[in-house]
Amino acid sequence: MSELLPAEELLARVAQHDVTALSALYDRNAPRVYGLLARILPSLDAAEEALQEVFVRLWSESPSLSREGKSVAAWLVVTAREAAVVRLRALRKNSSDAGPQTPSANVAKGSDAGRRKSKATARVPSAAKSPDGKTEAVKSRADDGARPPLMGPVPLACLPQPKEITLIDDRLALLHKAINQLPKPQRQALELAVFGGLRESEIAAAMGEPLGKVRTSLRAAVTFVKHRRRAVCGTWAANI
Amino acid sequence: MGCQHLEELYELWLLGAVSEQGSMDLREHLARGCPHCLARVRDATETVYLLGLAAKPARPHPRVKAELLRQISRHAPSSALPRK
Repeated sequence: MSELLPAEELLARVAQHDVTALSALYDRNAPRVYGLLARILPSLDAAEEALQEVFVRLWSESPSLSREGKSVAAWLVVTAREAAVVRLRALRKNSSDAGPQTPSANVAKGSDAGRRKSKATARVPSAAKSPDGKTEAVKSRADDGARPPLMGPVPLACLPQPKEITLIDDRLALLHKAINQLPKPQRQALELAVFGGLRESEIAAAMGEPLGKVRTSLRAAVTFVKHRRRAVCGTWAANI
Repeated sequence: MGCQHLEELYELWLLGAVSEQGSMDLREHLARGCPHCLARVRDATETVYLLGLAAKPARPHPRVKAELLRQISRHAPSSALPRK
């Protein structure tokens, strides 16, 4: 029954502590959220931990999200990405404290082989188990409070409406085709930002390019994607 | 900092890619409730959503969901639990 309900109706039920509704939202969204987490994080264990963390946060933040009428799909993807990057940066900090590393090497390749990382070298601190053997996804959020914010939580007012996200979902194949038209250096810089969790200066170092050049590439790439999205979703006409 | 200087930063800020200083400037600007920038950030969130979906979907192991529901159920009223 829950499988047939719109996502926002399920969200309203989650806000009323309906575990069945959360289960349905998980079934609907987990593959894309997990795919994103697995692309960013260095091990599948870490991706699984982060996946649980994101849905635990959805459980606790569903009342405000539902009240504002925002897209649950957008919240999940944006929140998952931020959670993954926070974990990745913490891992890199720990690694750099232990010795020199080249953390972006796998991401720079952008290949499946490059993304299949060694669990032995890639445990995130929050992947620890509690004495009863349970994972501690909730605790990891509390630990995050001690870290500098990535960019601060996205204000709920800045999240899109469900209908805006539906437009994107319905045209996803075409949009991906458009993104693939990006010139290679721009796409590489953008991938390092989106999936590598790197800042502009770190991307410049990883690519061996001047910061100014990378900054220009990133802005051009983002503008390209934004314009194609608006065109494909009907804001204005353009040839793809 | 004026809105025109922030125009190219919204998506990169959402991605966490701008410098600490740039991020702080934008946060402070948004905290003042600039309606123009809030609307632009909302638009930028759609682009970030789209970029996130460039990752290939993958099916997590069923035990992840089982563990999640166990965690959640510890905090849920008994009437909200799934029927067996």
